[in-house]
Amino acid sequence: MPEVKLTNVSMRFGDVTAVDEVSLTIADGEYVTILGPSGCGKTTLIRIIAGILEPTEGRVCIDGKDMKGVEIEDRDLGYVFQNIALFPHLDTEDNVSFGPRVKDKAKEEQQKIARKYLELVKLLDKMEMFPSELCGGEQQKVSLARALATGAKLLLLDEPLSALDARVRVDLRYELRRIVKSLGLTTVHVTHDQEEAMSVSDRIVVMRAGGVVESGSPEQLYTRPKDIFTANFVGETNLLEGWVRERKEGKSVIELRDGSSIEVAICDREVGEGIVVSVRPEFVFPFTEGLHSHVHDIVYMGTYWRVRAQSVSEDEVEFDVPAHEGNLYQNGQEVYLMVNRKAAVVYPRPREGIAEATKLE
Amino acid sequence: MYSVTKESENLPSGVDRFISAISRRGFRRGWTGFIILFFLGFVVIPTVFILTYIFTDWSGIQTKVLSDSVLTGQIVDSIVASFEIAGIVTVIDFLVGLPMAWIMVRKEFPGKRYIDTLIDMPLAVPTAALGFSSAIFFAVTKPGLTSPLGLGLVSSPFLLIILLHVVFSYPYMVRSLSAILEQIDVTYETAGRTLGAARFTAARTITLPLFRAGLVTGIILCFARSLSETGGTVIALASMRSANGFNTGPTLINFLKGQYGSGDANALPALAFVSILLIIAALVLLVVLKVVVMKVRLPAGKVWPKWERILSRGWVPKSKDGISIAFLVIFVLLPAFFIFTYVFTATSGGAGSWNLFYESLGISFLVAGVVTVVDLLLGIPLALYIARGGKARIPAALDVLVNVPLIVPTAALGFSLGFFWVGPKPATGGIALVLVIFAHIAFTYPLVVRNVAGAVEEIDPAFEETARTLGAKPVQAFRRVLYPMIKSSILAGSIMAFTRSLGETGATLAVANVNTAPVYIVNLIKNPPFDYYTAAVACIVLIFVSYIFMLALRFVTRKRRAA
Amino acid sequence: MPDVSLRGLSKHYGSIKAADNLSLDVRDGEYLCLLGPTGAGKTTALRLVSGLIRPDSGKVFLNGRDVTRLEPEERKAVLLSQTYSLFPQLTVAENILFGPDIKGASEEAKERLLADMLDLVRLTKRPDALPRELSGGMQQRTALARALASGADVLLLDEPLRALDARLRISLRHELRSLAKSLNITTIHVTHDQDEALVMADRIAVIRNGSVLQVGTPGEVFDEPISPFVANFVGQSNFVVGRLVKKGAFSEVRCENDMVIQARGCDCHEGQEVVVGVKVGNTEIIREGEGFFAGRIERVLFEGRNIYLDLDAGPMGPFSAKVPSWRLGKLNVGDTVQIRWSADKANVFPMPDIGLKEELRVE
Repeated sequence: MPEVKLTNVSMRFGDVTAVDEVSLTIADGEYVTILGPSGCGKTTLIRIIAGILEPTEGRVCIDGKDMKGVEIEDRDLGYVFQNIALFPHLDTEDNVSFGPRVKDKAKEEQQKIARKYLELVKLLDKMEMFPSELCGGEQQKVSLARALATGAKLLLLDEPLSALDARVRVDLRYELRRIVKSLGLTTVHVTHDQEEAMSVSDRIVVMRAGGVVESGSPEQLYTRPKDIFTANFVGETNLLEGWVRERKEGKSVIELRDGSSIEVAICDREVGEGIVVSVRPEFVFPFTEGLHSHVHDIVYMGTYWRVRAQSVSEDEVEFDVPAHEGNLYQNGQEVYLMVNRKAAVVYPRPREGIAEATKLE
Repeated sequence: MYSVTKESENLPSGVDRFISAISRRGFRRGWTGFIILFFLGFVVIPTVFILTYIFTDWSGIQTKVLSDSVLTGQIVDSIVASFEIAGIVTVIDFLVGLPMAWIMVRKEFPGKRYIDTLIDMPLAVPTAALGFSSAIFFAVTKPGLTSPLGLGLVSSPFLLIILLHVVFSYPYMVRSLSAILEQIDVTYETAGRTLGAARFTAARTITLPLFRAGLVTGIILCFARSLSETGGTVIALASMRSANGFNTGPTLINFLKGQYGSGDANALPALAFVSILLIIAALVLLVVLKVVVMKVRLPAGKVWPKWERILSRGWVPKSKDGISIAFLVIFVLLPAFFIFTYVFTATSGGAGSWNLFYESLGISFLVAGVVTVVDLLLGIPLALYIARGGKARIPAALDVLVNVPLIVPTAALGFSLGFFWVGPKPATGGIALVLVIFAHIAFTYPLVVRNVAGAVEEIDPAFEETARTLGAKPVQAFRRVLYPMIKSSILAGSIMAFTRSLGETGATLAVANVNTAPVYIVNLIKNPPFDYYTAAVACIVLIFVSYIFMLALRFVTRKRRAA
Repeated sequence: MPDVSLRGLSKHYGSIKAADNLSLDVRDGEYLCLLGPTGAGKTTALRLVSGLIRPDSGKVFLNGRDVTRLEPEERKAVLLSQTYSLFPQLTVAENILFGPDIKGASEEAKERLLADMLDLVRLTKRPDALPRELSGGMQQRTALARALASGADVLLLDEPLRALDARLRISLRHELRSLAKSLNITTIHVTHDQDEALVMADRIAVIRNGSVLQVGTPGEVFDEPISPFVANFVGQSNFVVGRLVKKGAFSEVRCENDMVIQARGCDCHEGQEVVVGVKVGNTEIIREGEGFFAGRIERVLFEGRNIYLDLDAGPMGPFSAKVPSWRLGKLNVGDTVQIRWSADKANVFPMPDIGLKEELRVE
């Protein structure tokens, strides 16, 4: 039985629609991330699942049971807050044992459970400390242990890593998935960070302006996103405007603004239709011939260089070169760029224009 | 680089030179020193000066007071009564005020704005009028003073005073508790609920412990307010058919001052003694309460899931809310405004002179006006100093000292201050008026300082810092950045100071016999020939005036909350 | 002459050393990123430069002038805080013109300046909006325009992108840098995000516990870190412990399992206990052929452009690697693969006195 099922859920605050008829199913044991820019409704949605907000319309079912009228404390889930929310007047052990304590378990049982989960997050030695004595990453781990200690099988994470330093985030997200999977939990994780989403999830649901754009595995969303917004939001990409000049099985030709052309492997659009080609920087490479462009910036990325160029078709094109080749490129230099046919994805040209369709705010 | 050339760059204007001059570190240090000296010399020291009487005339106290067992008994009884009343009142206020504060902060419902205004209403009524109104509502009153609508149930002065004090201290408690509750992030409770705790359990085990630190202030203010009150208590007792020589500390001071004024020199050591006892007891209280509230172990460890679930849902929380609102109406609002009915049901005619009343009103306004202006001019700088001082020693010490005039009962304060400036002889004429102004400054100054300091503490220092790195001198940063943000708090503080001064009786009577409006009303009721009708009408006029100011306060603070 | 110079600055709060003999030179027109973990003292450094706090000892020079005793408003070094601190009751235009207003600029000068600034940060449509009506990115641009319009010589940015969404940050990095560069304004940009620093900085200064560990171009700091901490903080690294057996143009290190691995030349002496660090992105994974040692793939994480692998290399300990994602499918959990790297990508460090674990601790 699917663990969480949302049917046509909407949330309105006055004349603001925060969530617009969202339907979503999260299977038992699945790790799903709801990904989107600030204000897209993802936090509202997770609060609806938790029961903190009652939806204006629609139904929420957890484990087959309709959650209408069911209070937060009766929903049997674990929730990790963005601003951590550890009880400042209780030490680590008392924070973690709060769930068992509230269920009126015996004192030894409470202690046993607290220790078990603190060990899981490797913070057994910080048991007597108070939240103010712990650093950000440790606090978040305690918050996770506290949510897990309730024994709930459904875990809701509201931007759990956003408040932490970049370096700490990277370390913690791998830990997060490892722990959750080892316990067999169903997890709903909300974030605006697409790198984070891709590294922890089984499936990602992309949200924007209150609605779902698309959903799929990290690989699906990265390699063949169905919507142009996803293409730009999940990872960086080059967007080239043009028309379909020729359509053939395995090789279609796209004509760009100035008449130059590139080839793509898959094209569902009709000849003559206005389209946008999306191809990620790692699939664009300099060659002896191809799209004529001029380099205007090169940026060191550590293990490679990101070269930024402007093509004669007036598109911004970025491509990567290995670290030792970086010195071959300078501002103003001419390059000819080839596109990996199979990696290119074609979209219909958005009516509102590319800028609006891919707007991040 | 973008640079902007000023047209008159080469000739700094007079204003610029002035601003540069006062921005220099040396000047700023000097100014700060002056402000602190004013605070200490005009507010703190006069308030507690009477304590020195112990050293200057201990023998007087010994022979005239301690050896007179009747007098000593009277003094001890009155102080004990004051503390008992204040204690009971505070407990009642807490028990009924906490649910009300919870409703105000956490719940939304139609009509909430009206209840919000109603809670503040008693603050608009000068305590003299409150005393009169409550007495007529609850008590068995003197002949000629009864109202056919009054309950006429209470004949114990102790009980009446408790009921009266609840009326005007209730808003203090609710506002204090609301302020603390607002600061506690509701996310903690929500977190508790996601962990399985019912609403009641989450509130009890999570929010309440976090409440504690701020709770102390609320309780102390409420207690002190009750301890301090004079005018209403005097009038209430004077209105009762049988008050049996009952006295609270402040009313005893009032009585003894009267004696001393009529020539009984032995009253002086007694006056000093009562004042000293009240001051010391109040200050000790400050410390004891802090310790007790912080150390009391709440049963946060134990949970009773079944019971607490029941308490969290259904009819229990709803009836709790209903009871809170009912209490507000019956025990706070009705007694406060009952005086209006007296005017319609009683007969007119009396010896009171309207001219005298208008004159007293004029004096009250004059005093309140001057007091408020001084409070602002010299209170705002101190507030800034304390708020920006952080944990440094001097600002932190001042933060504590600011509470002293608020806690010391105003009657004792008045007497001590008068004693400080002119000695034991009662002052007259212009000096009396000046002394009254000084006394009123003493207990209203902290209101302005606390309001402004509180607002400044909530503002991110990054605003002013950014302004300074953009080229603004400290004065300019204050005027352009900080001041707009705290304007409404300044206004709120000044309105509080104004109405507090307007309604004050005890300090005025204790320092000098100046006819402010409340004093005039007290005289009408206490001294023959009695004129209850005029007193009632005068009360109503006073209520209207204060109410207008209260509305202005609400308008201003609501605008701030919306911003 | 360096535009900003910090010489031996120290500042402590109680027992905490927020700045510990901090020295740094920033060149005229340079975009320098001050990179370090939370609590490293980055914000303290900015506040010392701006004059909002005074050092216990040491000096601050701006444009060759000793400004240590000067007030903030006299320094022409403008600070942009993490939360932007836009004055809430002033409109965008009024915020931007705050600096010129204070100086008493003429109306035409202010009008011209405002038009230029709004154009520069792409806010020409919203000059009358209040800060609370703006999105995060727009607020940031307004704060930036305000700072630039003040005519300051030095721009101090305290984690300017932290409050923004991850994807938005990536887009705004280029914009922020070009803006500063187009005006040739010396910039000190504080951040905890090494990706950000690598992309934006002319030079990076890595700071920890109140002092600067290393200053260099992104290439230098990434490829030639001065300590294991820097090696792991600026791009994650794998570490191997061993003893230096041969010194020269290339070093040879004998590890615990008796393997000898090669690395770049170093200053240590033969026989010394050393740590070899190699970036996760430079760690090569091959299925067939000879590597330095074998590892079993424990975890495969798709990150978009790359795949992140966690491997168990037996006695050599846990290893991580980042490989391009076109290899997804061919590398699976449970596979045993060979791990190796090119010698010029590995750095040798003396074993830290406090031990490797403490050295690498970020918080």
